[in-house]
Amino acid sequence: MSSNQFFNHQGPWSDATEPLMCTDTGDWRTKRPVVDREKCIFCGFCAIYCPVQVMEMKADYFEPDLGFCKGCGICAKECPKNAITMVSEGEFVS
Amino acid sequence: MAEKKKGRLTNVLDYLKHDDPFSKGVAFCPGCGLELLLRFIPRVLGNDIVITGTPSCSAPVLLGQNRQSWHTLSYFGTLMTGAAANATGLVRYYKKAGIDNTVVCFNGDGTANDIGFGNLSGAAERNEPFIYICYDNEGYMNTGIQKSGTTPYGATTTTTPYGTVHRGKNLRRMNLGLKMAMNKIPYTATATLSDLEDLAKKLLKAKKAKERGFCFLHVFAPCPTGWGADPADTIDICRQAVKSNYFPLWEAENGKIRMTKTVKKPKPVSSYTKMMKKFNHMTEKDMKILQEDVEYEYCLLGGLSVLEAECQLPVSAEDGGEKL
Ligand SMILES: Cc1ncc(C[n+]2csc(CCOP(=O)(O)OP(=O)(O)O)c2C)c(N)n1
Ligand code: SF4
Ligand code: SF4
Ligand code: SF4
Repeated sequence: MSSNQFFNHQGPWSDATEPLMCTDTGDWRTKRPVVDREKCIFCGFCAIYCPVQVMEMKADYFEPDLGFCKGCGICAKECPKNAITMVSEGEFVS
Repeated sequence: MAEKKKGRLTNVLDYLKHDDPFSKGVAFCPGCGLELLLRFIPRVLGNDIVITGTPSCSAPVLLGQNRQSWHTLSYFGTLMTGAAANATGLVRYYKKAGIDNTVVCFNGDGTANDIGFGNLSGAAERNEPFIYICYDNEGYMNTGIQKSGTTPYGATTTTTPYGTVHRGKNLRRMNLGLKMAMNKIPYTATATLSDLEDLAKKLLKAKKAKERGFCFLHVFAPCPTGWGADPADTIDICRQAVKSNYFPLWEAENGKIRMTKTVKKPKPVSSYTKMMKKFNHMTEKDMKILQEDVEYEYCLLGGLSVLEAECQLPVSAEDGGEKL
């Protein structure tokens, strides 16, 4: 018997008709990762190490989903080419 | 414009075959090692696993709130005292009902090494067919960073503070992984987040080995909030822990230990401890005690890994020991 027959729905605590809970964790951020697309060699290290898993694969570079990126700075630290800079969110306030 | 120089995409992505079952914004601190581990497991093992877990930092996210959930996995919330006993009940039910699936009993070190150790030990003895994963953040983080049996010597926590009387934890860290491997269960392994391919391979091996019985993974997962570390350093802390032999990577099939990574020139443990505030106060003397403990455990591991090849009698039986 396949397990999928039993587990193709949401977890037992959830109501399958309601969407998953989601917090705007992007609001927590004090620094924003900015990717230099020219420097990026498309190795994917930033993506695998990001705890929130928000580094999205584009044509030949990676880019964070800023709606949920918590600004931890792991991607910038782990990038072998230093293609990611953590920039203070204050810089982006217009 | 010249063609941009491209590297090779990391192998780790090949192991991420399944969707991330968690919603994008969940309530773990920035840089939390537990979050990376929790998102990684179902992406490697599949979304049809059943997770059980206890009150801990993982619970607010795994349990959900009111009628809503943070993820689409099946989850069974248990008490800290009965984590492995509850997972045992689940696998036995599935076996009787003829349902083939993977139960992952996912707990912090406080549950695994201390409060829920009795029934973890029992499940290992009975060789229950599920995967027990302990994420080791070296303390009871969710209740405010208290020390656990895996908190290392010297580390400050809220119950082992540094001050005029105390100098952090004055007891040594327990080695949970070795303790479990000694039970000759089908599969035991240590893993950490800097070596994700190694972790993925071990998860897949455990999924296979659980057909033969109990599997135990001990995963080192830093807690920047509790350890006083920069959230950006989480992965590097794991790397330094491996490079200094503070957290060696090995696996054991039926108790037979094999190193999955050996470090040619181990760094001093201070290269690891300097990355977080919980060790800030340590003097050279304190550091020596920790260093010697790390070396002792590594020697023990080395000795056990050659045990089968050149099994020797304990020294005292040969010379010096009382002859009967
Ligand atoms: C038997 C029992 N004792 C104490 C508690 C209180 N408690 C809730 S969460 C927690 C900490 C759990 O620590 P650990 O398992 O290491 O997970 P972490 O918080 O580090 O993620 C404790 C002690 C409890 N729920 N049950
Ligand atoms: S780690 Fe750096 S070089 Fe590699 S994909 Fe990410 S941004 Fe590009
Ligand atoms: S800063 Fe942290 S959360 Fe944001 S993309 Fe980088 S690793 Fe992910
Ligand atoms: S306290 Fe530590 S283990 Fe708990 S969510 Fe925060 S960083 Fe993670």
